[in-house]
Amino acid sequence: MADKEATVYVIDLGESMADCHNGRDESDLDFAMRYVWDKISTTVAASRKTWNVGVVGLNTDKTYNNENEKGLAGYEHISVIQELGSMTMTSLRALQPKIKPSRTSSADAISAIVVAMGMIQVFTKKLKYKRKIILVTNGEAGIDDLQSEDVAAMLNEVGIELVVIGVDFDDAEYGFKEEDKSQQKRDNEKILKTLVDQCENGVFGTMAQAVEELAIPRIKQVRPFKAYDGPLTLGDPAKYESALSIHVERYFKTKRATPPSASNVTTFNGPTQTQGRDEDNDTPMSGVEFQPVKQLRTYRVDDAKAAGGKKDIDSDDLAKGYKYGRTLVPFSESEEAMVKYETVKSFTIIGFVPMSSYEPFVNMGETGLIVAQKLNEEAELGLSALIHALHELESYAVARYVNKDNSQPQILLLKPNPAIEDDVECLYDVPLPFAEDVRSYQFPPLDKVLTITGNVLTEHRLLPNDNLQQAMSDYVDAMDLTDFGQDEDGNAAEYAPIDDNYNPVIHHMNQAIRNRAVNPDAALPPVADILTRFTHPPEALVAKAKSEINGLIEASEVKKVPPRVQGRRGRKETVKPLSGLDIDALLGESRPRTKKTPISTENAIPEFKQILETAEDDDTIENAAKQMGDIIRKLISDSFADVLYPRAAENLRVLREGLINMEVPNLYNKFLTELKGSLLSGELNGDRREMWFRWVVGGRLGLITPDESEVSAVSDVEAKAFLK
Amino acid sequence: MSWRKDEDERFDADDGDEELDENDYKTQKDAVLFAIDVSKSMLKPPQPTGDKKADKDSALTAALKCAYQIMQQRIIAQPRDMMGVLLFGTQKSKFRDDSGNGTGYPHCYLLSDLDIPGAEDVKKLRELVEDDEDEDEILVPSKEPVVMSNMLFCANQVFTTNAANFGSRRLFIVTDNDDPHAGDKQAKSSAAVRAKDLYDLGVIIELFPISREDKKFDLSKFYDDIIYRDPAAEVGESGGPKTSKSGDGLTLLNSLISNINSKQTPKRSYFSNLPFELAPGLTISIKGYIPLNRQTPSRACYVYEGEEQAQVVQSETAQVDFAARTVEKSELRKGYKFGGEHICFKPEELTELKQMGKKTLRIIGFKKRSKIPSWASVKKSIFIFPSEEQYVGSTRVFSALWQKLLKDDKVGIAWFVARENAHPVMVAIFPSGNPDDEEANTPFLPAGLWLYPLPFADDVRSTDHVSAPARPADDLTDQMRLVIQNLQLPKAMYDPRKYPNPALQWHYKILQAKALEEETPETKDMPDLTLPKFKQIDKRVGGYLAEWKQMLAKKARNLQEDRAVKREFEDDDDERPAKRLKTTQKAANAGPANSNADLKKAFEQGTLSKMTVAELKDIMASKGISTAGRKADLVERLEEWIESNL
Repeated sequence: MADKEATVYVIDLGESMADCHNGRDESDLDFAMRYVWDKISTTVAASRKTWNVGVVGLNTDKTYNNENEKGLAGYEHISVIQELGSMTMTSLRALQPKIKPSRTSSADAISAIVVAMGMIQVFTKKLKYKRKIILVTNGEAGIDDLQSEDVAAMLNEVGIELVVIGVDFDDAEYGFKEEDKSQQKRDNEKILKTLVDQCENGVFGTMAQAVEELAIPRIKQVRPFKAYDGPLTLGDPAKYESALSIHVERYFKTKRATPPSASNVTTFNGPTQTQGRDEDNDTPMSGVEFQPVKQLRTYRVDDAKAAGGKKDIDSDDLAKGYKYGRTLVPFSESEEAMVKYETVKSFTIIGFVPMSSYEPFVNMGETGLIVAQKLNEEAELGLSALIHALHELESYAVARYVNKDNSQPQILLLKPNPAIEDDVECLYDVPLPFAEDVRSYQFPPLDKVLTITGNVLTEHRLLPNDNLQQAMSDYVDAMDLTDFGQDEDGNAAEYAPIDDNYNPVIHHMNQAIRNRAVNPDAALPPVADILTRFTHPPEALVAKAKSEINGLIEASEVKKVPPRVQGRRGRKETVKPLSGLDIDALLGESRPRTKKTPISTENAIPEFKQILETAEDDDTIENAAKQMGDIIRKLISDSFADVLYPRAAENLRVLREGLINMEVPNLYNKFLTELKGSLLSGELNGDRREMWFRWVVGGRLGLITPDESEVSAVSDVEAKAFLK
Repeated sequence: MSWRKDEDERFDADDGDEELDENDYKTQKDAVLFAIDVSKSMLKPPQPTGDKKADKDSALTAALKCAYQIMQQRIIAQPRDMMGVLLFGTQKSKFRDDSGNGTGYPHCYLLSDLDIPGAEDVKKLRELVEDDEDEDEILVPSKEPVVMSNMLFCANQVFTTNAANFGSRRLFIVTDNDDPHAGDKQAKSSAAVRAKDLYDLGVIIELFPISREDKKFDLSKFYDDIIYRDPAAEVGESGGPKTSKSGDGLTLLNSLISNINSKQTPKRSYFSNLPFELAPGLTISIKGYIPLNRQTPSRACYVYEGEEQAQVVQSETAQVDFAARTVEKSELRKGYKFGGEHICFKPEELTELKQMGKKTLRIIGFKKRSKIPSWASVKKSIFIFPSEEQYVGSTRVFSALWQKLLKDDKVGIAWFVARENAHPVMVAIFPSGNPDDEEANTPFLPAGLWLYPLPFADDVRSTDHVSAPARPADDLTDQMRLVIQNLQLPKAMYDPRKYPNPALQWHYKILQAKALEEETPETKDMPDLTLPKFKQIDKRVGGYLAEWKQMLAKKARNLQEDRAVKREFEDDDDERPAKRLKTTQKAANAGPANSNADLKKAFEQGTLSKMTVAELKDIMASKGISTAGRKADLVERLEEWIESNL
């Protein structure tokens, strides 16, 4: 795929290209250029210096081409608009204004092909290139077909692919026919079709199809990467003569494709730069609007003596280390290799398991593909026997895989594919988890309810009754996609197979970037339908399954929980320990409260909550809130550096939550406004800005808005402004 | 470290991979304080039975060993979470810096303060459990009983000061005494009040009762007044603590470890209250979890060893332009490289570009499980479980779906956006069976539904470059079947719990040794359980394999000869239609050049450099060797490859 390419676009700029046909409201040229710009901008996007593009104008007002210069006849009104060369944004911009219809229509399309062929021959010499000429025309200008056989022969000899895409050309296969075609056009279509047919490598098509196919995402092809090349063993060949060893190669079968990545840039505002070069691909950056930024790293350590409590460190003084819990363990360069587990490149089978014992969701990632070493008969036969035996026994192999010396071992599950899923006989492999990768989370069972007393219930509001089970079963069966789709021939096939499912983010991004490059002022394009067709169940199926869907909805009796019921004062369910002990009564006895009893700093949160739980008047709440506020201020002012900030923030959070529950948000808002002033003015024993920005703003402890508590007098906008 | 770092990482995440979503998830930090009872009965060694395998640990030793093991485990698996150890009922008292007996918490001994565990904490615990040394006489029970309310308030203070804003805070009480305040109603009430304080503070008490000599641990005597239902627990989750004891072939230590481990990992959700659109017009709510996650060794950090103690170096990055001028955040744009330039979008346009619909899990239909290709795997799966918080009835509907999928071997196909701005993905919804079932495939995973990400067409690599035509099964296959049948893994399944990651274990073993200033371990000191049992393989199937190898050698020879004849025949055969000729010639040309034997020959004769660059690149690409650089580099690289591979 990284092969060198030389592509020349021959674009018909004749005067008839300015007309609109067949009910389109864009000219033939604009219609055709949708296809050409898409192709060219895809080349620009690839940023490959070895992909060369040239452009020849057909039916231009002037004449500029080699053949004509040499004095050959029949090459008038053909101009080389862009010589073959790599395609950049600059050349794209230079090209754009030159594509406009002319006032002539007397040039010969086949001559233009000859011009393009000449350009390719000069440019590519005898080197290895993918050569291609793409002609777009509406076929209204006369064509001389006397030499077309010779031209085809030459194209074949040089190895050039010829693509002819005509505006409103008839295409029976695609199903397009222009009824009111001029005789001229009909003849031209025939001539061009014959020419293409004579080419070993030729494509003839109609523009409507080409434009339609632009919407089909193009998948970036990646050069195959060999991840492993070596023996797959069973037993230890170094120790046991019986051990088996098959020379295999491992490639990727799946590998997650990523959306285009962005880098940080800034708007260009410095002096003009003459030799600015893009680091990555070394293309000159002329006419840039955006300037890449670099990262400047600085290193610091805490140092109480230094100004600001931090000291800059030179990068030469840095050593490496690892953390063992909170203990820092420095490693010298020579020691560092020790932490790596020494391994030897190997791929060895641990044992076998029945297929039925494996659940796909335990696998940890991308799939590999294993085949025998090429032209190694023993490996071919050996691996094949293993694949067939696994398949016949419905078993998988579990293997330990080290792709090269000193890399981490992995456990792979090897699955046989005797040329059923892919047309190759291979093993697929998927990575399996290690002991450390399993987090033991406990969940209650889904098919029974256990009570605290240890009873098992099978009928409960959390469990489906027979009616619901039946409705679910009917629904699932009705919504089956297995045969709902259609293949190319219209036969029933699987709906939404993987091949048809494109990554919407990647393709939408690429589309938007290409659009922006060709047309910087246009709005973002909408997401193409082809990218969103599987986001909802297919309508036809939903219509068909209407009664099952309604049946399920009825049997489910699902109810949305209304937005939080504003609860105030003791309306909340009282909390009790397992024994059901009346803890509130006990608290009332052992911690009798008068308005005067202060909240203790140490036990502030529980005491504050307990007061609110039993509070019967606003005074009590206000008093408690005030005390909480004082505690928060004191914690901050007592804090050495940021030591007590987390605690202050937690108290603040509890205060906020409590006052929201009590429907007195304005108490909190008033307190916070004062606190902000104190924090930023340095009133609380030093620079407390970090408390504000990191803990209050960062911890989302800002003003309470009507969203959270209806009675709040602070609007959303005010609350946002307050945090700035 | 806590908030700001996460925020930065999230910022980066926006333009990269959604994988970093998990950062949200890490900010929910966990703190666990072990409170271990020190009493005569806890210290009492078990009755000697004469059996070598019998329990030798006292309940206290088992509890300390358990804490020790869990501390090491947490250093690896939860490097940001805190842990502490508080002993109660001790003769000595200690709280933070005040060492004497004048603390406010008599008979409470804070062995390790609540913090991210460090080498000293590990060392302290190990000295107590392994060396059986107790020079400081810490493990001496007090003569008078400890006041439980004091212990609970002590824990309260430890949490209030050290883990003020942690999302998950838990007190693990390990004791064999079900009635610490028999007959003292006043003391019981005080304890209940202090327990309510902890509840209001957001601390969850987990009790790990130890019962011995078949005496039942009676919760109703005391602990039922202390323990509350975890408000975060799933509806329907059974609450009662599990009693640990020795017996049934299980030592007390193992029983305790298994009980504590089941609670030890804080259950962190990956997302909560995600709408699950099960059918048009039917939505329930779910929570998501990641029970399977690749655990990797900690990353190296920069250290400054200048003065006194080594310190972690904080690195800060500033964005500068070509003139080394710092660029303000407001001036920064995200640029996409395009034809040597940057294509930029306004921030609001970028948001729009990435917005692919609201967060949701939406079923578009169902398929037979067999329709999911066996290679269709790209990423770990996410576990989902119903939640009644948004939609009442979610659990029963979820359960009905789960049962149907299990029964009929079907999977749901769904469109999944984990949160606003997350990359959407198609998932297959697989059910997992009850872990307690006799024949469970995944006894190590909970029962529920799994979102199994399906590859996009973009994620599938072409296989055109490999040629491995289908072959018929033959007697080699039959012989291989004998081998496979005799090498089944135990219980006929892959149980990850039996395979610790050797690289990870080694990493922390070395770190621990260095941190504790011990001798550096050697590789042979650590068992690598991922290595096959070679001796057993030879014993069980060595015979079959030897025979198989003979058969294979013979067959391979035959095939080789066949091919040689065929090639000769093809070379002689000139009379073919032109078009066919062209392709066969090409293949014939490519054949020998690609064949390893020919390459080796060319290498030995030194004729590799006579090939053209294009030819070299073709060959090298087919072998997966890098094709960058000049011809001399190519030749050298190919030579190296031939030397090491052929």
